[in-house]
Amino acid sequence: MAKIIVVTSGKGGVGKTTSAAAIATGLALRGNKTVVIDFDVGLRNLDLIMGCERRVVYDLVNVIQGEAGLKQAMIRDKRSENLHILPASQTRDKDALTLEGVEKVLMDLSEEFDYIICDSPAGIERGAQLALYFADEAVVVTNPEVSSVRDSDRILGLLSSKSRRAEQNRDPIKEHLLVTRYNPNRVDDGDMLNLEDIREILAIDLVGLIPESEAVLRASNQGVPVIHDDKSDAGQAYADTVSRLMGEDVPLRFQSVQKRGLIARMFGGGGRR
Amino acid sequence: MSLNRDRADTAFTFKGGMLPMTVMELASGDPERIRAQLAGKINQAPAFFQHTPVVLSVEQLDEPHLALERICAVCRAHKLLPVAVRGGTDPVKQSAWALGLGWFPPQESRPRAVETKPVEAAAEAELPVPPPETAVQAGGRIHRGTVRSGQQISASEGDLVVIGAVNPGAEVLAAGSVHVYGSLRGRALAGIHGDREAGIFCHDLHAELLSVAGTYKRLEDIDPKMLGCSVQVQLKEDQLRISALT
Repeated sequence: MAKIIVVTSGKGGVGKTTSAAAIATGLALRGNKTVVIDFDVGLRNLDLIMGCERRVVYDLVNVIQGEAGLKQAMIRDKRSENLHILPASQTRDKDALTLEGVEKVLMDLSEEFDYIICDSPAGIERGAQLALYFADEAVVVTNPEVSSVRDSDRILGLLSSKSRRAEQNRDPIKEHLLVTRYNPNRVDDGDMLNLEDIREILAIDLVGLIPESEAVLRASNQGVPVIHDDKSDAGQAYADTVSRLMGEDVPLRFQSVQKRGLIARMFGGGGRR
Repeated sequence: MSLNRDRADTAFTFKGGMLPMTVMELASGDPERIRAQLAGKINQAPAFFQHTPVVLSVEQLDEPHLALERICAVCRAHKLLPVAVRGGTDPVKQSAWALGLGWFPPQESRPRAVETKPVEAAAEAELPVPPPETAVQAGGRIHRGTVRSGQQISASEGDLVVIGAVNPGAEVLAAGSVHVYGSLRGRALAGIHGDREAGIFCHDLHAELLSVAGTYKRLEDIDPKMLGCSVQVQLKEDQLRISALT
C-alpha cells in the first residue's frame, strides 16, 4: 500500500507545487516508486515545474471519466525512472473531479507505488478538499507571513475534520509543517514572522525549512525540480525535508543568518544575500 | 459526503453549518411537569424565551410513546420553538416527522459533565420552581486541542473549557463561562443566552473579540498592558472588566 501525502496550504502562491515536485523527486531519487498528481484542475502547473509539459496527452480528468487508462495518462520523469507524473486538465474545472473517481485512481496507484504525492490547489473548496480527503500524511506549506499562517491554520482544521480518516474515526492524518521562503535577514529585521511564532500558532511538527532562494525561481523556469540543484541552499533544504519525511533525524539548517566570508564579500555574486 | 454537491447551476446550495443550539434534555415526558418548570424559568431569564429554537432530547426517557404534540404545544406557549427531536424509539421518530420536526440519532459520545446531568435535571423537575442557577452551570463541554481558524466550538449550556489555544479566526462560545488553558487569539463569547454572571478566563490574552452577555470589546479596545497576560473578563456595571489572574 502506498503512503498518500497531500501538499497543501490554503493560501495560493506559497510554494505548494514547487514543494510537491521537489518532495516527489527526492523520494524517487531515494529509490521509492513515486507518483505526483496535480489536483489543480484548470490551473495546471505541475507539468511545467517538472518539465514535462510537452509530453502531456491525457490527464487526471480523462482517467476519472474513463476516457484514458492510468498507464496512458502517467508521464515518466526524464531524470528518475522511479518517478511518474499525473497531470491535471487545463480545460476543465474542479467539478470534473468526483470523490469516487479520485478514490479509484488512488487505489489503483496504491498497488504499484510506494508514495503518492497529491499537489493540492489553493483554497478550501472542492478541489482542495478532494486532494486531502484520502491522505495519510499532509505537508502544510507556510510562508512566514500572517495571512499564510492563518490559512494554514484553516487547512489544518479541514485536515482534522473533512478527511476520510476523520470521518472513519481512524488515526488522524499526520501533519507536517513546511516553512518556505524563509529569509533570516528579514526575520531579524522584523519584516517576517520567525519560525518559533509560526510553530507556536500552528502547533504541528516541523518537517522542513526552505530558505528564500534564487535557485527556486530558476529551477521553476527551467522545469527542473530544485532538489536536483544540490549546490543550492533550497535544494539541500528540500533534501533534508525528504529525509525527515522518510523518518530520518536531520538537524535543521538555514535558520539563522550565515556570515558571508571575506572572500565572498569581496567578490560578491552567487550565494545568499 | 460533504464533497458531493450538485454540479449544475441550481437555485441553492447545501452548506454544512454549526449553529449554537439549545438542547432541552427531557427528564420527564409529562407535559404538565414541563409546563410547571418552564413557568418558573421564564421569570428567571425572560430574554431567553423569544422564539428560541430548541432540540428536544428524549434520550433520557424510557417511554416508547410520548405525548410529543402536547409537549411541543407547551414549549410554543412559552415561546420556545421545537425544531427537532433527538433520540427515542421508532414511534417517537415517526411522530416527530408527523409533526414536521426533524429527528437526530442519539448522541454517541458525551462528555462526562453531561452524564451527571440527568440526576440534577430529575431533581430539578420535582421542584415547582427550580433553584436559581449559579455562575458555573451544569452541562458544558471540554475541548482538547487547538481550535483553528474557521472552527467554532460552542457549549449551548454550561461552561466551555478549551485545553489548548484558540487561534485567530476561531470562535468559542458558551452559555456559561469560557475557559481557555492556552493562548486566546480568536473570538470568545460567554453568556450567549444572556447570563451576565458568566466570564472569560484565559492564559495569554490576544483575543480578537471578547464578549459577555452581548457586551463586547475588540482587540483594539483592550488595554495593551493586558495583552499576553493571564486574565479574567467579567461584566461589571455594563462594562467588560479585564483583570489579571494572580
